[in-house]
Amino acid sequence: MSLEAQVNIVNDEDVIAARQAGRTLAAETGFSAREQAMLVAVITELALNILHHAQGGEVLIHPSEDAGRRGIVVIARDRGPGIPNIKDAVEASYCVAEGLGLGLRGVKALVDSLDILSVPGKGTTVTARKWQS
Amino acid sequence: MLSRRRTVTGLQQEYSDALRDYLVRPNEQALRRAYSTGRSTLSNGAGVLGIAALHHQAMKDVIPDLSAEIEEALLIKRAEEVFIESLMPFEMSHRAFREAIAVLRRMNERIEEEAKRIAHALHEEAGGLLASTNLALEELARDLSPKGTERLSLVRRLLDQMDEQLRHLAHEIRPTVLDDLGLVPALEFLADGLSKRSGLAVAVEGSTGGRLPSAVETTLYRNVQEALNNVTRHAMARRVKVAVTREPHAVRCSVRDDGVGFNVSEVIETRGERGLGHIGMRERLDAVKGTLLITSAPNQGTELLMYIPLEG
Repeated sequence: MSLEAQVNIVNDEDVIAARQAGRTLAAETGFSAREQAMLVAVITELALNILHHAQGGEVLIHPSEDAGRRGIVVIARDRGPGIPNIKDAVEASYCVAEGLGLGLRGVKALVDSLDILSVPGKGTTVTARKWQS
Repeated sequence: MLSRRRTVTGLQQEYSDALRDYLVRPNEQALRRAYSTGRSTLSNGAGVLGIAALHHQAMKDVIPDLSAEIEEALLIKRAEEVFIESLMPFEMSHRAFREAIAVLRRMNERIEEEAKRIAHALHEEAGGLLASTNLALEELARDLSPKGTERLSLVRRLLDQMDEQLRHLAHEIRPTVLDDLGLVPALEFLADGLSKRSGLAVAVEGSTGGRLPSAVETTLYRNVQEALNNVTRHAMARRVKVAVTREPHAVRCSVRDDGVGFNVSEVIETRGERGLGHIGMRERLDAVKGTLLITSAPNQGTELLMYIPLEG
């Protein structure tokens, strides 16, 4: 499986393109309809984060395999201001969406692992992994 | 396109359009719109029932026009795909809050552990040092003149007060009697202290029939503590009865006062369940799968009944 997708996120059209790419890859990886919907929601929230908190960025999606498990990795990279306090972003109410359990907090609840690397002034890279159940 | 304030009719329009679009020709843009409607419904507080109502209305609006052209099974399948998209923000939020609650519970357990440690250090270690200090002073007193002995006894009185304060503080943080002797003795100790401080007559009766799991004892102790505080602050009661009953597979604990009481349904209607101020109690009980029942009426006192199932 060499398929992967890279979508620049500048407006909502791009969010739709990233969702479409993610849905296709998830279906090819063998994700159930439910798992596909979850992965697409993850991609949407990560892409919306780029739209709302940075002046642009990109979403990369690729299949992954580990010890016989198949999954999808989503990497969201932006050139925004960085997240002042990563713990806050995931655990407390960093913004309206986070307070509602959406955003990174919601993403964390839907995936198997979530890594956030944020450099103040340089941007943020979020890596989310979801395995097929 | 993601304006935060959209009216219900605006949301209905958006959702119905997305549904119609997708039923005719499945496409990602329509699903994106359905997701967006769900997200708006979540943030404007209409909730999962709100999105269900939007979906239902949209189906009524859209299906009659399409049922002649598109096969029913296909319509149902596609409609489900749209509905799932609109529900995803709720699923996400639900899971995020469930995780947050689990984190808070673990934090609470850690705090209680930490409190045990601090109370122990205050009680045993600091208390021990004070006792040694007292012995040393006693020896010193033998070599002193009567005048010196008198001045030293003032110092010893101050040390006694400090000892008393330390014990009090340690007990507030975590009653060692709860760890050492169990729930009912700890409640009796608590009731005794409160009666002395406030003049409220607090009776504790019943038995746990042996020790209960530590989490259950802590939950009941903390909840009775909070309930008694509430009674002294709000109830204007003269008597309170705390009763503990052990059942084969559960433990029951009630706190009943003879105070002013209140109209339960009125308070819930005007201020929501929050208005009862029992969030902390419910949360502690939830963690041990327990339940809380509140009975009250104006001028008829208040009764809190806690019920915790026990394993095996």
